[in-house]
Amino acid sequence: MTNEHEDDVLRAAHSRRSFLKRTTAAAAITLAPAALVKAAEDKLDEKGAEYFEKLPLQIEVNGKPYSLQVEPRVTLLDLLREQLHLTGSKKGCDYGQCGACTVHVDGQRVLSCLSLAVMQDGKKITTIEGLQNGDDLHPMQEAFIEHDGFQCGYCTPGQIMSAVACIREGHAKNDADIREYMSGNICRCGAYPNIVDAIKDVVKKGGVK
Amino acid sequence: MDKLFFDTNAPMADLDRVDGRAKVTGAAKYAAEYDLPGMTYGVLAGSNITKGTITAIDTKGAEKAPGVIAVITHLNAPKIPGYDEGTNPAKGQTGGKGLRIFNDNIIRFNGQPIALVIADTFERATYAASLIKAQYNKEAPHTDLVDAMKTDKPLEGQRYNEVVRGEKDAWKGAPVKIESTYIMPIHVHNPMELHATTVRWDGDDKVTVWEKTQGVKSTQQSVMQAFKLEEKNVQVNAQYVGGGFGAALRTWPHAIAALMGAKKTGKPLKLVLTRPQMFTLVGYRPEAIQKIAIGANTDGRLMGMMHEAAAITSTYEAFNEGLVKMTLQLYACANVTTKYNIYQLDVSTPTWMRGPGEATGSFPLECGLDELSYALKMDPIELRLRNYAETDPENGKPYSSKFLKEAYELGKDKIDWKRRNPEPKSMKDGEWQVGYGMSTGLFGAFRGQANLAAKLYADGTLLLQSAVSDSGPGTATAMVQIASDAMGIPANKIRFELGDSSLPPGPTQGGSSTTSTLGAAVSNACVTLKKKLAEAAKKSPVFGGDVAVESLDFSKGELSLKGDDSKRLSYGDVIKGAALSSIDVIENAVPNPAMQKYSAYSYSVHFVRVKVHPLTGVVRIDKIVTAADAGKIVSYKTAESQMIGGVVGGLGGALMEEGVIDHRYGRWVNNNLADYHVPVHADVPHIEAYFVNKPDPVLNPVGSKGMGEIALIGFAAAVANAIYHATGKRIRQLPITPDKILEANSI
Amino acid sequence: MIPFDYARPATVGAAVASINKDATAQLIAGGTNLVDLMKRGVMSPQKLIDVTRLPLKEIKEANGIIRIGALALNSEVAENETIRKALPLLSQALNAGASAQIRNMATVGGNAMQRTRCPYFYDTVMPCNKRQPGTGCSALKGYNRMHAIFGASDKCIAVNPSDMCIALAALEATVIVAGAKGERRIPILDFHRLPGDNPAKDNNLQKGEMITAIEVPVNKAFAKNSLYQKIRDRASYAFALVSVAAALDIKGKTIQQARLAMGGVAHKPWRLTTAETFLKGKEATVANFQQAAALALKDAKSYGHNDFKLTLAPNTIVHTLKTLTGI
Repeated sequence: MTNEHEDDVLRAAHSRRSFLKRTTAAAAITLAPAALVKAAEDKLDEKGAEYFEKLPLQIEVNGKPYSLQVEPRVTLLDLLREQLHLTGSKKGCDYGQCGACTVHVDGQRVLSCLSLAVMQDGKKITTIEGLQNGDDLHPMQEAFIEHDGFQCGYCTPGQIMSAVACIREGHAKNDADIREYMSGNICRCGAYPNIVDAIKDVVKKGGVK
Repeated sequence: MDKLFFDTNAPMADLDRVDGRAKVTGAAKYAAEYDLPGMTYGVLAGSNITKGTITAIDTKGAEKAPGVIAVITHLNAPKIPGYDEGTNPAKGQTGGKGLRIFNDNIIRFNGQPIALVIADTFERATYAASLIKAQYNKEAPHTDLVDAMKTDKPLEGQRYNEVVRGEKDAWKGAPVKIESTYIMPIHVHNPMELHATTVRWDGDDKVTVWEKTQGVKSTQQSVMQAFKLEEKNVQVNAQYVGGGFGAALRTWPHAIAALMGAKKTGKPLKLVLTRPQMFTLVGYRPEAIQKIAIGANTDGRLMGMMHEAAAITSTYEAFNEGLVKMTLQLYACANVTTKYNIYQLDVSTPTWMRGPGEATGSFPLECGLDELSYALKMDPIELRLRNYAETDPENGKPYSSKFLKEAYELGKDKIDWKRRNPEPKSMKDGEWQVGYGMSTGLFGAFRGQANLAAKLYADGTLLLQSAVSDSGPGTATAMVQIASDAMGIPANKIRFELGDSSLPPGPTQGGSSTTSTLGAAVSNACVTLKKKLAEAAKKSPVFGGDVAVESLDFSKGELSLKGDDSKRLSYGDVIKGAALSSIDVIENAVPNPAMQKYSAYSYSVHFVRVKVHPLTGVVRIDKIVTAADAGKIVSYKTAESQMIGGVVGGLGGALMEEGVIDHRYGRWVNNNLADYHVPVHADVPHIEAYFVNKPDPVLNPVGSKGMGEIALIGFAAAVANAIYHATGKRIRQLPITPDKILEANSI
Repeated sequence: MIPFDYARPATVGAAVASINKDATAQLIAGGTNLVDLMKRGVMSPQKLIDVTRLPLKEIKEANGIIRIGALALNSEVAENETIRKALPLLSQALNAGASAQIRNMATVGGNAMQRTRCPYFYDTVMPCNKRQPGTGCSALKGYNRMHAIFGASDKCIAVNPSDMCIALAALEATVIVAGAKGERRIPILDFHRLPGDNPAKDNNLQKGEMITAIEVPVNKAFAKNSLYQKIRDRASYAFALVSVAAALDIKGKTIQQARLAMGGVAHKPWRLTTAETFLKGKEATVANFQQAAALALKDAKSYGHNDFKLTLAPNTIVHTLKTLTGI
């Protein structure tokens, strides 16, 4: 019988560490092929370690479904950049202090550097690479070009993802409103006034979907 | 038109950034974004102490951790041939040697790398780096400039000698004088992109490096020197650079570590600094304590000035910059004394940061002028105009161009200066005190050498190539604009390739000189292209033999005979007619020797209107006007963005930026973007940037001067001056946070 | 980050059981604070219990009390119509915190659990009694500009960084927690604690307990007259130097009842009860506000870099009350 307290939607990862602590535990044995158990007991076989440290993850990124195995400590940002090679989402601080990593999860803007990838199981992620429609740029992308809402371009994907959400949330009523609700996106080149102009322009032209 | 107030004949250049699409779609790739097969990840572990030696280092835990491929410390680091010969792989400004990473067991600053851990994933490398344990023989840290000024002797040498122009101490005898001390903390560049190096060795003597650098050629040189490699075997790429502001002007030790690590493992390696490491491993603007004294006649004419600055550097390098130069250069004053002292502390080496030298020196100078204006009861702009330098006060040379007066007028008009009641503390908006302030910024206008390849193809497209990198200002856009104007070719048919060390050598992007230096090469290349086109056109029956280039018009993107434009030929037809696939030019543009007779500077004039909340000390800047004499504006849109951006940087320095080291430990306290505040959207009002837009006739054929530095230089003083006007409180220490407003007494 | 296990329990019971069973396990919701602390090695749980899918998101009003599920997002609460109407102070405080992205991730329960931003706590090298008991407090004689002026000890002068909790303190909210022995109700002012001799402990949550909801009583008079004022080093996306949550019940010019709480000044949300008592029955005048502020600061103590808070705190109280009453 399954213990009530272990009644997890997703089973706990049996890391090598905790696995080694209780190698006789029936639960762990049933999870692992015998060869791997042996490998783990023989200490730190790489493949065994990897098996126990990774968890399954199903996510959709820019409309494309992915079926992955990830370590629980992998952030959504590092998953996107290092494993899926979607480098449009940027790492500017890695601590939730700059907004360069902003993506949409189920349509809401969040910081991917503070989001653990495993926690996004079943969710829909949109990154800057998924914003345009074929060759047609999103109106916000066009507005950023027209108003020169960037210089070096590094914070730009985060600014754009945030700007799209800002309008969608109804937080682009006036300059002060835009500035306040965009303050989570730092631009060290100082393109702020142009970014505000770009957002206002998109609002004026009918907003975003 | 407002935008081109003084030069209505200039074309309105409004080109969109040529790399805009790549940047808004996420397609632009930065140094850490290249996926190489078999990639490994390098993470640096830093020292926990500030000064001393490593007596033991335990790497076992890290080596055994899953996925770890190698651990490098000073005990097993591969030899860097450049180290032994005493050359300096991380080329410093002057004096001393750059930190030779993993070369010995000496700790020189807190956070100094003590190990490089290489693993198959970023997470594993990061975790394993946390398992590195070192034991130290620890010495007391010495990181406080205030202490050092009491107990240490500053460095000696020619750069630090007292400079006396005219009579020393003349200011003391003046009927009206001020004397004050100004304090500026450490400022950190903090570009949004973390410094990163990706390396792939192809054998022992050939390497490709993707580096965050403001100069692909200078990085190439550093790598060649450190590893004793041939130029053709060192490829440096920097297609996109996520901001630099000076922090990417050097090849820093972490890049050498990445090269070392990849060589040792034989696998490609990516090393990305953490944000805290960005505070210790890639430089910063040094803290400075500065005394200023100015004396004037009752009519406002300056009788004497004194500027003495103390700043910090590391124990292993003597970083210095022109901290007191501006005081010698800006105003017509016969008697000026300056002294620049630097103190060596247990900190990492500072480096150039936007407006290096002048950004720091302008704070006491331009606040000092403001203090003097109140002492004289004279308008601060009028005071500046009374001491306007018609020739360079340092050497008596004429200026190749100077339109500072025009910039004062332009800014004064746009901020509506006449609404300012000269009396401090006299203006209000509800609960808020309102104040106006202004300042001047100056930076030398330079031009270096640049090589450029231009290829005009039979399909009418033009390719330009130079080994430069662009950290944001929009170099490619400006160069395309110059070529488009010269050749009459639409911008979308011109491509500028950069960020690749195998291209013809271009300049490093620093010192506000890229447009001047590289723009000259583009301009010259277009002249040569025209000559070659005219030469090739001989073969065409349209012009019937010889045709002088002077008699041809190129402004419509074709050759047409001046005065008879029925005789015309497209560039493509000329090329095809001459049985060529393209017309190629390699241009080597060197500075104009005529400049030896002249001095050249760019100027900015910053105007701000602030609101200060007296109960809480909160400051809001509600209007900013900045006017610049930066020569001819090549690309209006990117130029405006650069001015705005510099102002935002200046706003950060004025109101919130402060690097804090706890001197008890010698360790950083606020080395991240939550605690080291840079401006956010809500801090920044609409900013109006204006240009005099008059070409400099001598410096380069384009007529442009520099802009990146002057955009920031002086801005902090304008804010401090406005706060004084609003509150009657003279704040002489940056940043001007609410606590300083509340604790300052009215004066 | 160290390698760790991850589990996603389906019920509150299973989540509570997980943290009861395993001392090294930690609940995770928005992760905006915990993931940050884990990256820096300040916290290193060996197992994360993901509670984000538990059905604790509801915001509902019944019998004059608004119950907010612990997993309601900061942004959802701030934007919620019921909250905006009945508890505007809470909505304002939430919107004053962090950034739009972080508010889209952070939960109400997590916000109440967020840890101090003291730089010595965040650095794993310099001494800190909260992070590593017994090592000493680096802030006491160090860089303590952001630190406490009320209720600190010689072991710790850190402050609670929450904006939300300051509003909740003024509104006298109750924290509902689930534990192995069932549900418990803790008044918000008893939830966080002062550092005393044990600064490692931020709050009075017992081992194995989990926040399931926050209940806030509705007071129509307060809803009409409340204001959250936050003073910080930049205009947004920064922690408070000081903040004031104020709610007044005014009839004519007379204050019937006042609620005042401050942030950025103590290890817990700091209620200004002396000032509240003083204001009761008084006229809303600047002089009275100043006197109330002076009373509020009676026991304040500063540590050097934060001396300015002895001026900024009372001034912000006066400023908030002036703005609120339009005087």
